[in-house]
Amino acid sequence: MDRSTLHKFWNPVTETMPRADLADWQWRKLERALARAKAGSPFWAARIPDGISSLKDYAERMPILRKADLIAAEAEAPPYGTLPSTDPSLGIRYHQTSGTSGNTPLRTFDTARDWAWAVDMWCTALHGAGIRPGQRACVAFGYGLFIGFWGMQDALMRMGCQIYPTGAMDSKTRVQLLVDKKIEVLASTPTYALRLLDTAREMGIDLARDGSLKRVIASAEPMSAATRRTITEGFGAPITDIAGMTELGTIFMFECLSGSPHIIENNYIEEVLDPETGRPVEYGERGVRVTTGLGREGIQVFRYWTEDVVIKRPWSECGCGRSWDWYAGGIIGRHDDMRKIRGIPVTPVLIEDVVRTFPEVFEFQSVLRTVRGLDGILIRVEPHTGFGVTGLDERIRAEVKRKIGLQPEVELVGPGILPRFEAKAVRFHDER
Amino acid sequence: MTNGDGFLTERHRQDLVDCYEKLHGLAATCDVPAVRAAARAAIAEVHAALDGQAIEFEYYSHRWENR
Repeated sequence: MDRSTLHKFWNPVTETMPRADLADWQWRKLERALARAKAGSPFWAARIPDGISSLKDYAERMPILRKADLIAAEAEAPPYGTLPSTDPSLGIRYHQTSGTSGNTPLRTFDTARDWAWAVDMWCTALHGAGIRPGQRACVAFGYGLFIGFWGMQDALMRMGCQIYPTGAMDSKTRVQLLVDKKIEVLASTPTYALRLLDTAREMGIDLARDGSLKRVIASAEPMSAATRRTITEGFGAPITDIAGMTELGTIFMFECLSGSPHIIENNYIEEVLDPETGRPVEYGERGVRVTTGLGREGIQVFRYWTEDVVIKRPWSECGCGRSWDWYAGGIIGRHDDMRKIRGIPVTPVLIEDVVRTFPEVFEFQSVLRTVRGLDGILIRVEPHTGFGVTGLDERIRAEVKRKIGLQPEVELVGPGILPRFEAKAVRFHDER
Repeated sequence: MTNGDGFLTERHRQDLVDCYEKLHGLAATCDVPAVRAAARAAIAEVHAALDGQAIEFEYYSHRWENR
């Protein structure tokens, strides 16, 4: 491998490790992590089988962990219950899940060591996305209890980028900052990136023309192909998809410059299981991610059923040089978000992928409901101001019918009627 | 001394491990709050570097005495 190729990597050793060595490294880290959890966490002491002897043995005998298990363990003695493997007083940060799925938020803490590791995972991704010291970066994020982009903020500083904090700014001020300060890297949820584009349009600013962005980092939500195109064209900059979980304490996947969303496999064991049978699926087959974190000492997670729907591809099918497997299309959706309407499977991303192909659409909402005994879907659409919308409802209805096989009811609503989101958007409601 | 291939030299590797151990010594024994805090913060950072280089090392936090 030549030097120019190697400098693509944050950690060349672990990113290009031969697969056999990688499996060996994973096993050595897993052994220590299991021993640590058994010794330090009553929850894990009761769950981890004795004598796990290999990665294969682990996948066969270690029970699957569900979010409800974690929440129940924490509820025994809030805030963390029987989960921690390390004394929580060593924690230097507190975070909790966003609670968008209606669950009780999951609470978590990080030790100094955990946080340095979490930040390093972000550095791995940002370096892999081509971000380099000296670049000006804006993280458009609310900086609350949700872990979101906190790790990215610290990663950019560790890498030597210049951060423009915009925590309390409104969208107009952020747009102006992007232009005035010649910001090169923007990070936000896909939903908020769309909002910034709309705000810029209202201000008469074309960010693709007037801005200096070289990269948009999108995270914290699944993203449809149509949304991706809109953001890329609107900002005039390529987009990088990065995914993480509060349960893991940081990110686990990032898109390389070849466009493959790689799993950070020296720090995670990622299985893909058939949701019906619980058996592993082959490369190229759709299944649910089950993850094990290898890098965190405070709150550890083993074989966690994430509900994320993915399709794993082998490392060799990406030409970037990493030996890490990847997820085609990133996180395709959530298994627990999949609903059937008259026998047809429907997910939020499936609907978004159709609706966002219409440039007139600013915001939308899907409602699954039963009318006179029949299940159906209502899509409420809020168009951009200043666009002609004649026949838009009919065109959306026809396109949804053509692509998904369902004929929805489409209702156009006035400006400001639908809720706005900065972090995790909730556009999908099942009222049946 | 630099290496052009993106991998650590043996000398760099040893320096990293030595650095980690020396920081531990400082964090455990130094009574100056500012120095102790800096050493503890630096340990976490060097730990991440060791892990990224797949170097075997002490894996978990020490229980520092709160002073």
